[in-house]
Order: sequence, then C-alpha cells, then structure tokens
Amino acid sequence: MNRPWFSSATFMIIFCCAYVFAFAMNWPLFLYYPLHDDFNLGPHMQTGKGPAIAWYGLMGDAAIAAFLAAVVIPDRLAHKALRNYLWVFPVGAMLACVFLLRRFFG
Amino acid sequence: MQLITALLILHGLVGVALLGAITHQSVSLFRRTAARSGSFVDRYTGVNQRTFTAAVVGLYIAQLTLGALIYPTYRLSVRIPFEEMSLGWAIGLFELKEHFAGLGASLLPIYTYTWLSEQQETHRRDRVAVTMLLALIVWWDFLVGHVLNNIRGFA
Repeated sequence: MNRPWFSSATFMIIFCCAYVFAFAMNWPLFLYYPLHDDFNLGPHMQTGKGPAIAWYGLMGDAAIAAFLAAVVIPDRLAHKALRNYLWVFPVGAMLACVFLLRRFFG
Repeated sequence: MQLITALLILHGLVGVALLGAITHQSVSLFRRTAARSGSFVDRYTGVNQRTFTAAVVGLYIAQLTLGALIYPTYRLSVRIPFEEMSLGWAIGLFELKEHFAGLGASLLPIYTYTWLSEQQETHRRDRVAVTMLLALIVWWDFLVGHVLNNIRGFA
C-alpha cells in the first residue's frame, strides 16, 4: 500500500497546538481591520484603523503549520503512538481557550 | 446590509442542516443492536452512519466560510454595542464559539479518515471521540449564535 502523502492525525495535533500557542502569545499571522477593509501582516495593532480581527490570522498560523507538518511527518507515527488518544489534543485546546478567555466570565 | 442579513439567515439554515446530520450520526454511533421494530427511535438510529460523513464535512466548511464572511459585521455592529452594554459574558461566549469553530475545522481530516471503511475496526475509539467532539462544537456554536442573535441581531 502506498504511504499517504497527508497525515490527518498530524494535521489535527499540530493545528490544535499551533492555534493555542498563537492565541496565547497573541501572534496572529495578520490582522484584519473591517472598518477600512484592510489587512496588515503581523500581530501589532495599528492606531486609527478601528477594531481589528485576529481570528483569520490565528487560523492562518495554525493551518500553515499543520499542513506543513502533515506533509512532512509520516502518518504512521501519529497513528501508532497516539491511536485512541487523538481526541486529547482538541479537548486540551478547547480547555486552553476557555482558560485564556476567563476574563470575560469573571 | 441586506446581503449580510441574507448571509446570516443562510448561516442559520446551514447550521440547522449540520446540526441534524452530526446529531443523527452521533446518536446512531451508540446503537448496539439491529433494528427490530419500525419505531421512530429504531428508524432514527438505524441509518448507514458513513453516508453522513461527506455531508457533515461539506456543511461544516460551508458554515465556517459563511461565519467568516459575516464576522466583520459582527465585529462592528454587534460586538461594540455589547461592549457598551457591558455584556462581557456575551463577548466571551462568541469568542469561544469562534475558537471552537476553528479547532473543529482541524478535526475534519481525521474525522473523514476514521470513518473510512478500512479504519472501521482499528480506530473505533478515535472515531467515536472525534464525532462526539464535532457534535459538541456544532451544538455549542449553534446555541451561542442563537442566543447572541436574540440579544442583538445585525438588522
């Protein structure tokens, strides 16, 4: 059987880790300013442009890292080592998001 | 604004379809015996679960895309009034909705993989866990979206 070129397990694991890391460090790939319909590379807010959206940039960070890892790291590694425990990563990432957003519920 | 309102309504409708598909598949995962009667429960759970996979993936991607398209309007027309009304919890609920939706997208490849017939025996626990997690995210996002839209919609 041919080796799959894309590892779905690695994609999920790296996406979850990269997303939470970028979110915790406030490192979106870019920011979008809806008031001026303007994109700016990097995480630094610019003054006078109104509110910024970081979510697209966070998705970009995580998707790029996860896609590259899913192509490079062999599928069998993640599946062999973590079979039946893959769900731990998204659950951990979701709990980390709740923790990072706790200021809204205090 | 009319286009955004139309997209919001479409977002809601696609959400209902996605909710139905993932819930149907999730509930039928726990069926242990073959259907014996023609009751509603037997018919509801006695479906071929694998046929839902492509529909769930397609609807999830459509839903995420629609959400991303209407997000700027939320940021300007809904979140700012929430801040003025000191509804921090509502902003927090939406933040969780967006982050969960993003993380849910990362589940789609492994969700598809574990539902392939070749993985039927080897990845049962992952298949159940990933499907239930995806169902949890869809339900959370649907309910939060509904509540926030009731507090303040676009129009």
